[in-house]
Amino acid sequence: MEFVVVNYPTKRSVYVDGEPSGDTNEVLRMDAGTHRFDLGVPANYRPASQDVVVTGTTVLVPMSVVFT
Amino acid sequence: MDRRITLRSALVICALLLSACGSFPVNPPLAKYDPSAGYRFEKLEPGSNSDELFVIVVFSGGGTRAAALSYGLLEALRDTKIHWQNKEIALLDEVDVISSISGGSFPAAYYALRGSRIFDEFPNRFLYRPVQTDLLKLALTPVSLLKLAGPSFGRSDLAAEFYDREVFGAGTYADVVAQQHRPFVILNATDMTTGAQFPFIQDQFDLLCADLSGITLGRAAAASSAFPGGLTPLTFQNYAGQCDYRQPPWVDLALKDHQSRVNVRRTARAEDRLSYTSAEPTPRSYIHLTDGGVADNIGLREPLTAITSLNNSWSVLRLINLKKVDKLVVIVVNAATNPATDRDKTPNVPGLIETITAAADVPLDNYSFDTLEILRKTVNEFNESARLISGCKALATARGAQCAVDIPAPHQIEFFPIEVAFEYIEAADERNWFKNLPTSLELPRETVDKLRAIGRQILSEDPEFKRLMQTLHGCLAITGQNC
Repeated sequence: MEFVVVNYPTKRSVYVDGEPSGDTNEVLRMDAGTHRFDLGVPANYRPASQDVVVTGTTVLVPMSVVFT
Repeated sequence: MDRRITLRSALVICALLLSACGSFPVNPPLAKYDPSAGYRFEKLEPGSNSDELFVIVVFSGGGTRAAALSYGLLEALRDTKIHWQNKEIALLDEVDVISSISGGSFPAAYYALRGSRIFDEFPNRFLYRPVQTDLLKLALTPVSLLKLAGPSFGRSDLAAEFYDREVFGAGTYADVVAQQHRPFVILNATDMTTGAQFPFIQDQFDLLCADLSGITLGRAAAASSAFPGGLTPLTFQNYAGQCDYRQPPWVDLALKDHQSRVNVRRTARAEDRLSYTSAEPTPRSYIHLTDGGVADNIGLREPLTAITSLNNSWSVLRLINLKKVDKLVVIVVNAATNPATDRDKTPNVPGLIETITAAADVPLDNYSFDTLEILRKTVNEFNESARLISGCKALATARGAQCAVDIPAPHQIEFFPIEVAFEYIEAADERNWFKNLPTSLELPRETVDKLRAIGRQILSEDPEFKRLMQTLHGCLAITGQNC
């Protein structure tokens, strides 16, 4: 099990591999591997999406994926 | 002249006979891929069934033994009363998903098709019937022998016709979809070529551009229970490339991980999906399905993927991240046996059949053992993250209030893994009796009734079930006792 926090200034939905999978700024569980992150619509954030290899995380040190 | 007439007559008769030979009933194509239609978890109305209490039940293989034990479990869940969201309800009403293999697929399919009517109909329609004898008699009729002479019609096609006619009343997945309510029932077969599990859900049939709605429950149950040797694999036509199907985004991403091996299991699932849709190395025009027990005799692998991966058509992990699930219950009904043998009482070399049987059974049993271990490991992983965070907080706080830390945590759930298996029967004589029951599609009525009763007893004694009952203020009355 891997742990990821998607950072964004406000709370909004996080899409992992095209599916709504939780909210920004919260610890999300997922399986290891390359995942595509985006924040859905409105697309008023950068970058538009990120492909990230999620591995080697712990619940105490989750991976951070940042959108601005 | 007479010889020529005789030869022509013989040719005509042969042609007529061959034309009468059976061919497998071709599964209907899907006109256009539509992710919002068909038999899918998210399409089923939860109704009063809450996500907060998410219940998954799995029924293992094991012929009528497994069917009767699983049916007994359904009866027990119907009779288990819980207090949930200010109401007293049956635990059965909270079951969200049933995943089944082989013999366990008969009660699962019947429940998907007929709902609570299973409790009035199923015992006489299936459990108490000499299905195996009926199938043998059917196979020996002249009409069946002619059908079986066809190269694309096997004994499982005949069995599927029998199940449709005698058990499921020709019910199809369209009938199941029309009911629009949970549980989402997944009958599992095995793809002979890839060795992967082949679930009877529209997400899987999308890969073939085939419409699951047009397939009968009898045929799905026959595929799930096509015990190798006694029964033949079932054939399904693959129309891939004809319905504008698009693989979900995770498939390409998982394939990128092939070299890095960062998640081999996820990559293998992506490659299995591609095997149906890709023309490389050779297009698979037909898919041959055999008993679900070949890939996983418990039926737990598909639910485990749903619990541990976001990349599943009914991902429970996604629901947990969305904070929809608070309590996760997984009930495994495992009808595995361990028949006694005299093999080790003599120095004689075991015979060929005995050796081949052991070669088939031993890996299957070991795999089932590992599957249950993965469930326990998964439960530990969920619990460990909570323990780590609370441990760190306690350590920091112990150094003084000024050291208290705020560690963000993922949504925590309570996990209840419950196992109903003969090995948990306390009395040795009784345990050995159940562990020596044969795998067959017919058992004496008294044996069926004992299996129904023992499922309830083992459930009531399971420590995790007892914990669940305490948490939900629930109760399952067992014979001679009240709640």
